[in-house]
Amino acid sequence: MTREDRATLWRHMRAPVLSFVALMALLAVNVVLGATLPFRAVWVAEAVVVVCMVLTVLLVSMEVWSEPPLVRVFSALGFFWLLILFGMTLVDYLTR
Amino acid sequence: MPDAVTAEAVDIELAEQFVTKEQQRDVGTLGMWAWLVTELLLFAGLFLCALILRIQFPADVTLATTHLKFWIGATNTAVLICSSLTMSGAIVLSRLGWRRGMLGCMLATACLGTLFLVLKGYEYYQDYDENMMPFLARPYALGAHPSTRLFLDIYYVTTGLHGVHLITGVSILLVLTWQASRPRFLQMHQNRIEIYGLYWHFIDLIWIIVFPVLYVLNR
Amino acid sequence: MSPLDSLYRDPDTARITLDRPADYLHAEHTLRSWFFTTDHKRIALLYLASITGFFVLGAIAAGLVRLSLVVPNGVIFTNDTYNKLFTMHGVIMVWFFLIPSIPATFGNFLIPLMIGAKDLAFPRLNLLSWYVFMTGALFTMVVLIVGGVDTGWTFYAPFSTTYSNFYVIPALIGVIIVGFSSILTGLNFIVTIHKMRCPGMTWFRMPIFVWTLYATSLIFLLGTPVITLALILLVMERAFHIGVFDPKLGGDPVLFEHLFWFYSHPAVYIMVLPGMGVVTELVAAFSQKRVFGYRFVAYASIGLASITFFVWGHHMFVNGQSQLASTVFSFLSFAVAVPSAVKVYNWTATIHKGAIRLDTPMLYAMGYIGLFVLGGLTGLFLATLAVDAHLHDTYFVVAHFHYIMVGGTMLAFLGGLHYWWPKFTGRMYPEAWGRVGALLIFIGFNVTFFPQFILGYLGMPRRYHVYPPEFQLLNVLSSAGSTILALGYFFPMIYLVWSLWFGKRAPANPWQAKGLEWTTSSPPPAHNFLAIPRVDFEPYDYPIKAPERA
Repeated sequence: MTREDRATLWRHMRAPVLSFVALMALLAVNVVLGATLPFRAVWVAEAVVVVCMVLTVLLVSMEVWSEPPLVRVFSALGFFWLLILFGMTLVDYLTR
Repeated sequence: MPDAVTAEAVDIELAEQFVTKEQQRDVGTLGMWAWLVTELLLFAGLFLCALILRIQFPADVTLATTHLKFWIGATNTAVLICSSLTMSGAIVLSRLGWRRGMLGCMLATACLGTLFLVLKGYEYYQDYDENMMPFLARPYALGAHPSTRLFLDIYYVTTGLHGVHLITGVSILLVLTWQASRPRFLQMHQNRIEIYGLYWHFIDLIWIIVFPVLYVLNR
Repeated sequence: MSPLDSLYRDPDTARITLDRPADYLHAEHTLRSWFFTTDHKRIALLYLASITGFFVLGAIAAGLVRLSLVVPNGVIFTNDTYNKLFTMHGVIMVWFFLIPSIPATFGNFLIPLMIGAKDLAFPRLNLLSWYVFMTGALFTMVVLIVGGVDTGWTFYAPFSTTYSNFYVIPALIGVIIVGFSSILTGLNFIVTIHKMRCPGMTWFRMPIFVWTLYATSLIFLLGTPVITLALILLVMERAFHIGVFDPKLGGDPVLFEHLFWFYSHPAVYIMVLPGMGVVTELVAAFSQKRVFGYRFVAYASIGLASITFFVWGHHMFVNGQSQLASTVFSFLSFAVAVPSAVKVYNWTATIHKGAIRLDTPMLYAMGYIGLFVLGGLTGLFLATLAVDAHLHDTYFVVAHFHYIMVGGTMLAFLGGLHYWWPKFTGRMYPEAWGRVGALLIFIGFNVTFFPQFILGYLGMPRRYHVYPPEFQLLNVLSSAGSTILALGYFFPMIYLVWSLWFGKRAPANPWQAKGLEWTTSSPPPAHNFLAIPRVDFEPYDYPIKAPERA
C-alpha cells in the first residue's frame, strides 16, 4: 500500500470506524448499567442507549444519512408501523 | 509504486428490464429496504410478546431474565458490531475496486457471524445443562414459577429466529464471496455487495434490539 | 417526438396489428417457456390458471356447506366433516384465491403496461413468488382434502393449539409459505411503481388501478410479516407447548387475535382495494368520462391502506378485550367509512351524465357498487359496540363479509377479467353470454346472501350445521340462491375458454378506452411496447370531462 492508498482508505473508512467505536462505547454503557443496576428505573436509561445504537446503525452503517428521501422514508416506515402495532395493542393491555 | 493496491473497474451490467444503470442501482437498494421493513415487523411481534409478558408478570420475567447468560449475550453483541465494521469495509473496498481486500473483509464477516452462532450454541448448551428449557419434556429449574416459562419460550423463539437469519446470512455471504472471487465480478455486479451489506447490517440491528429486550431491560 | 407519441394519447381503436413482432403468447411455445418465464404477462396467466383452480375447489366446499344447511338437523354430514368443509372453503377462498386474485393476475399483467415499463423491477423474484405460492397452496390443499382441518380460516387459539384433533400444523405451514409469496409480490410492485415509470408518467398521471395496487402492496409488506410470526407462534404452541397463548400457564389467547387481526383486517383491504381500482377503470371507460375527483380517489386508496391498520380490534369486541380498547377501535372503524364513501360517490359522479355503455364489464362494475355499499353499511352496524354484541359470530357477519368479498372483490375480478380479456388473449368474449352470466351471478348472489342478514339478525350463529327448524325456510332460500350463483360462474368459465379458440380477434383497443395498456397490440409483444412511451397528458383523457375540469 502506498501512502495515497492509505489516505484513500482512511477517507472512506472514517465513518464506519467512528460508528464502530460509538457502538462499542454505547454497548459498554448498557452492559455496565445492566450488570450493576445503579438506580431504580435504569431501564429508561438503557432504552435511550438502545435507541442511540439503532440510529447509529441505520444512519451511518446503513448510510441512510446520504440516501435519497425515498429510502429514508422506507427505513423509517417499519419503525412507524411497529409503533402502530405496539400502541394499539397496549391500548388493550394497559386498560384491562 | 512497488506494492500499490490494484484497483479494478467497478460497474454493473444493465439488465433488460431497465433503461439506465442508475435506475437499476436504485431498484436494488429500494428492494432490499422494502424487504428489511418486513424483517423488522416479523421481529416486532416477538418484541410485543416480551413487552406484554413484562406488563403482566413483572416478577417472573425478571426472575427468568436473571437466569439468561448475560455475558455471552453481551459478547455476542460485540461480535456482531465487529462484523458490521468488516462488512462496511467490504462495501468500501468494493467501491474502490480493491477486490482482494474486499474478499478478506467478506470472509472475516462470515467468520464473525459463525463465531456468534458458536457462542449462541454454547449458550443453548448451558441452558440445557441448567434445566432451563421448559418446552422440552424434562425437569425445569424454575418449575415453581410457571409463568417464567412463557418469557423463556419467547427467548428461544426470538433467538432461534435470529439464528435462522444469521445462518441464511452467512450462507449467502459465502456464496457471494465465491462469486466475487471470480474476475469481472466487480465490473458486472458491484451493487450486490452493497445490497447484501444492508441485509447484514440489519441482522446486527435486530440483535442490537434483541439483546437489551431479552437480557438487559428486564433485569 | 416520434410518430408513436400521439398514439399513446389517443389509442387507435381500429388498428388491427398485422405487422407486429410475435406477441408474448406466441413468442415461444414450449412448456419450459411458460414454467421458467420471467415475463410478467405469462406469470400473470400462470397465477390466473392456478387461482381459478383453487376457486373451483373452494366453491365446491361452499356448495357442500350450503347442501348441509338445507336440513336443520345436520344429518347430511357429520359434525367433523361439516367443520372441515367450512374450514376448507374459508382457507382456500381467503388465502389462495381472494388475496392473490386481482394483485397477482391483473396487477402482474397490467402494472408494467399501465406505467409504460418493460417488465416488473424483479422479474425472477416474480416467478419465484408463483412457485412459492404453489408450493404452500398445494401443500395445504392436500392437507385439507386428505386429512382435514376444523379450526376455521382464523385458526383461533386455544382451539387450534390444544383441542383440535386434526392436521393444524401442516395447514399452517402452507399458509405461512404463501405469505412469503404475497410479500415478494408486494415488494416487487412497490419498487416497480416507484422506479419503473416511463418518462412523463408522474404519480398523478397513473391510473387509479396502479394507485390501489400500490396501497395493497403496502399492506402486503407491512402486515404479512406479523401474521407470519403469529402463525409461527401457533405452530410452536401446538408442537412444543410454549404457552404464550395458553391461559393455563398465564398465556393469553387474545394476544394471538391481536397479532392475527393486525394483518387479517388489513387483508380485507388487500382483497377490496384492487377491486376498487378495477371498478374505477371500468366506470371511466364505459362512461367515456374522466374520473371525478381523481386525486381524492387516489388519496382515499392510500388513506384506506393506512387507517385499516388502526381498526383490527373490532373483530374482538366480545373476546375479552378491554372496554376502552373496544371503544377506541369502534370509533376508528367508523373512520374507514370516509375514504370508502369518497370512492363510491366519485364512481357515481363519474357515471353521472357519461356516455354509458352497459357491456358486461360495466354490468359487473354497477353490481359491485351496489353490493359494496350494502356490505360497507352493514359493516358500520358491526362496528357499533352494542349492536355487535348481538350480531357477533352470527350469519349477519357472514352475509356482511360475503357482500364485500364476493359482491365486491369477485364481481370486480370478473368485470376486470372481461374488460382486459382481449388484452390478455387477443380474443373477444361473446357479449350476449357475458351479460346473461353477469345477471345470473348478481341475482344468485343476492338470493344466497341476503337471507343470511335476516338469519343473523334472528340469531343464527355461524359455523353450526344444526339449527332450529324455524330457520329452515331462509336457509333453503340461501342454498337455492347458491345454485343460481354456481350456474352463473359456469358461464364465464365456459365461454371464456371457448373464446380462446373461437372468439373474434380483438383490436388493440376494443373499448375506446384510455391508458397505456390500450396503446400496445392485443396481446402485447414480449417487452410490452415497441418503444418506451412518453407521457404528456392527464390520465382518463376521455372526451367528456368531469365538471371540475370543464
